[in-house]
Amino acid sequence: MRLAHLWDQSKCIGCGACIAACNAANYKSTDKPNPTWGGLQTNIKRIVFDIKEKPYLLLVQCQHCENAPCVAVCPTGASYIDKDGLVKINPSLCIGCKYCMTACPYGMRWLEPVLGLPEKCMGEECQTRIKNGLQPVCVTVCPAGARAFGDLDDPKSEINKRLKSGRVIKLLEYKGTKPKFFVVVGR
Amino acid sequence: MMFQEIWNPVVLGFFLWFAGIAGMGSVAYAMMKIFKVEEKLKELSVIIFVSIVLALVFVVADLSRPLNMPFAILQSLLSGTFIVKIFISWMSFGISVLALLLLLSFLLLLRHTFVPGLQKLTDQKWYLVLTGLIGFLVVIYSGFLIANAPGIPFWNNALIPVLWIFSASVCAVAILKILVKNESITHFLTRSGLALEVGELVSLVALINVSLYSGIEAAQESAYALFLGPLAPAFWLFVIIIGVLVPMGLGFVLLKKEDRNLALIAAICGLIGALALRMLVLWAGIPIPITL
Repeated sequence: MRLAHLWDQSKCIGCGACIAACNAANYKSTDKPNPTWGGLQTNIKRIVFDIKEKPYLLLVQCQHCENAPCVAVCPTGASYIDKDGLVKINPSLCIGCKYCMTACPYGMRWLEPVLGLPEKCMGEECQTRIKNGLQPVCVTVCPAGARAFGDLDDPKSEINKRLKSGRVIKLLEYKGTKPKFFVVVGR
Repeated sequence: MMFQEIWNPVVLGFFLWFAGIAGMGSVAYAMMKIFKVEEKLKELSVIIFVSIVLALVFVVADLSRPLNMPFAILQSLLSGTFIVKIFISWMSFGISVLALLLLLSFLLLLRHTFVPGLQKLTDQKWYLVLTGLIGFLVVIYSGFLIANAPGIPFWNNALIPVLWIFSASVCAVAILKILVKNESITHFLTRSGLALEVGELVSLVALINVSLYSGIEAAQESAYALFLGPLAPAFWLFVIIIGVLVPMGLGFVLLKKEDRNLALIAAICGLIGALALRMLVLWAGIPIPITL
């Protein structure tokens, strides 16, 4: 099993519902700031570019890399790749060295200020939802249908259908991390 | 230009500095003992032990979950994960060699202070070779620790461990120059120090130059920040002038005639430069910008 995320840039309307839903589900709607990225405590980072006065938006989160640097550098095994293919954190093994944060080329980990734990997608609530056969909250709440989640090893999964129908890229693929976060950039 | 804020450059700069002093100090201790240069070894053993303790204090100070550390490492050890990780993660390797050096240097300290009988163990050649080797590994690990962080392209550079070795060796020579007054030894230290400073300067120039022309935007920005950007005043003053050029210039003067005061100035300048170098390299790290 290789669970993966897809975000369709061509469908995204930039409403931020996924970001708010992640904050509500995984961080109890806290309004405390994200000390690493700024903004809300959420696992989705919003990056806005203004290239030649034509702004575009990227919503980025943990890429659940198959060759994850954060997993490789973790000294205790707190960061690991689970059987479902998702990169997860075992808080009881984390010493807070933040090596995973400097190792992630995507900068997709942020430091939760109270527990000192490097947080990332998936949050606890989303992991529970997946165990119960549901989709992550960001996928469920997206009003534009810009998100998909599923098993890359299942030919009938929604994510595989959408991967076949769109022009898809992976971020910083040259880093050799084998990311499983797909960005649809057109038809 | 957004510098990394994950690792505190000041706290971890001190960690890397003390680890360098303890590491190459251990190499110097082992070499002196093996080649029967019995000069200020007691003082050197104190400096090595205090440095490794301070290195550990500073590295723990930057952890965001320090209270979880003993339990997490124990649990990881019991499950066997930590042993496997020693071969994969420089952090695991570093924890192991730091712990080993702490133990080895503690025994050296006891041998020179309260338990002279320990010399039967610590003066054995295998013990000295082991101490020197672990010391060297502590220094080189601290370089690879940074160089193996793919999120920060400026650090992700093979020259960092080399630079760390040169710089930590300069520190070890500087410490010895402060301790030792014997003219024949100080003259040897002056010559060694000069060679190491040349090596440090070449590594520094190579690091900045390779990063500037690497074609990776974040690495270029980091190198530019040190060379001509916002970190340049500190880099040029503390690392290049105080850390390398002054000790090198004084080294050439001392080659002609040893002078205790000039040697002390050169040593202190070398130590300041090594500390500034570590802080500024950490400071200058810029994460990769994400684009389509």
